[in-house]
Amino acid sequence: MFRPFEKISRTTFLTLVALEAIVFLSLWQSLPAGLIPSPLKIGEGLGGLITSSLLWDNVLVSLVLTLKALFFSVLITLLFSYLSVVPFFRPIAQFIIKCRYLTLTGLIFIFTLLTRDGSQLKLSLLVFGIVPFFTTSFMSVILQTNAQEFELCQTLGYTRWQCLYEVIIVGKADQVFEIVRQNFAIAWMMITMVEGLSMSEGGIGTLLIKYNKYNDLVHVIALQTVIFGLGLFFDYLLGILRHWFFPYTKL
Amino acid sequence: MTIYSRGETLLQVKDLSLYYDNKCILCDINFSIDDIIRPGIQQGQVVSVIGRSGIGKTQLFRTLSGLQQPDKGQILVRASQDTTPFKAPSLRTGLPWTLRPVHAGDMGVIFQNYYQFGWRTIEQSLRLAAHRNKTLKGMENDAIKEYAAQFGLSDVLKRYPRQLSGGQQQRVSIIQQLLKGSDFLLLDEPFSGLDVCVLDKVVSLLLKVSLSHEFKTLIIVSHDIPTAVAISDTVFILGKKDGQEGSTIVRTIDLMERGLAWEKNVAERKEFAETIREIKLCL
Repeated sequence: MFRPFEKISRTTFLTLVALEAIVFLSLWQSLPAGLIPSPLKIGEGLGGLITSSLLWDNVLVSLVLTLKALFFSVLITLLFSYLSVVPFFRPIAQFIIKCRYLTLTGLIFIFTLLTRDGSQLKLSLLVFGIVPFFTTSFMSVILQTNAQEFELCQTLGYTRWQCLYEVIIVGKADQVFEIVRQNFAIAWMMITMVEGLSMSEGGIGTLLIKYNKYNDLVHVIALQTVIFGLGLFFDYLLGILRHWFFPYTKL
Repeated sequence: MTIYSRGETLLQVKDLSLYYDNKCILCDINFSIDDIIRPGIQQGQVVSVIGRSGIGKTQLFRTLSGLQQPDKGQILVRASQDTTPFKAPSLRTGLPWTLRPVHAGDMGVIFQNYYQFGWRTIEQSLRLAAHRNKTLKGMENDAIKEYAAQFGLSDVLKRYPRQLSGGQQQRVSIIQQLLKGSDFLLLDEPFSGLDVCVLDKVVSLLLKVSLSHEFKTLIIVSHDIPTAVAISDTVFILGKKDGQEGSTIVRTIDLMERGLAWEKNVAERKEFAETIREIKLCL
């Protein structure tokens, strides 16, 4: 267990995770009381949050917004990534990739001018933040495509457009799920920021900002735990969906 | 001695040269493959291109398949009747034909690692090929089932390539290209890494394919001299001539002329051993 590259079973791994978590929480609990709340207090706060409709209403608002943003981001990413194999469109895809170095600060005002309401503003900001990361990941998948995939397609007598359909659109469809899974965290991370811009509709980010404003660390960390748990759940769900839609990914 | 004659030219390589970083890799390659006619038999052609490792076999393979354009010269193939712009009557079939430059897709290509699309089941992959074959229109599924049964792959049609053994993958690649309906089948190192039992099966499989149509032409690029020679009717040796930078065809051996083609247990004959020795000396 302490040797490099040692293989362990899934059960052993899960036991390790549980044990290490228990050790960490025990150490945390044993620390002298201070500004940082103890795990038990956070647990109490979490219990209170979970049983309240306040949490679930706000989670729902955030989830709807995130899923909408993911949907539009995937559409835009796929469109420009697929087109990137056509030289004419490659500069556009390259520009989108480089946009990940941009910060939203300063651009928010432009987005405010371009959108009609707070809801649109949040959605467009999320999409603007997510698309460069999605495109970067998907473009890297396209660039790493085995040349033999195109060659086999060509030797079967398919045209270049048909090869694009078979090798990139059909062949890399499973990778779209993987990219969404890997980059879901970005959307989840940005939600707090964009929800803070228009708080009237609520959302998990709004809730977090409110708790943070009053230094309610118990609920801040409890809420972070919920966010963390939801993130893990979606990671797992997307993994399952990928295997379900594309059985060959399990092999 | 088996009676045979030569018919029309099916493939012609004219003054082919390929450069890499201004260095000639393949220089002035010239050869042609003719239709071999044997009375009473539907006899295809089996041609081997033999050469040492690193001599440029793969480059020649890619160029022949149309995946890579030569820097000089051209490769002409017998065009199917319905696509020929300038038609001339074939001596053999009476149907119009001509030679035209090769394009990717003209030849069935079987790569060394029998690559298949990992996201398609075997049946789906075969269907992709069958859909390209106009003569199979509406009968694609029947043709797939027939070939699968013939090649012992009926049980694996619903599986993915990763679930198949190397031998099964090779058979899938062969069927795929047969379903596509191309007269030419280009095989890159088809005997590499096979155990003796599988090797025998592959050899009989290729011979079976070569007998499936008069114009069916197998071009085997290999460094396994005895196996390649045992199933071929002609051998082209790719090597380097003195003072020449790149590789070229240094020798053509007509195995039919020597009575070494289409013979069972040919490998046991003295002439066969002599031919192998002769080839080795050319490498």
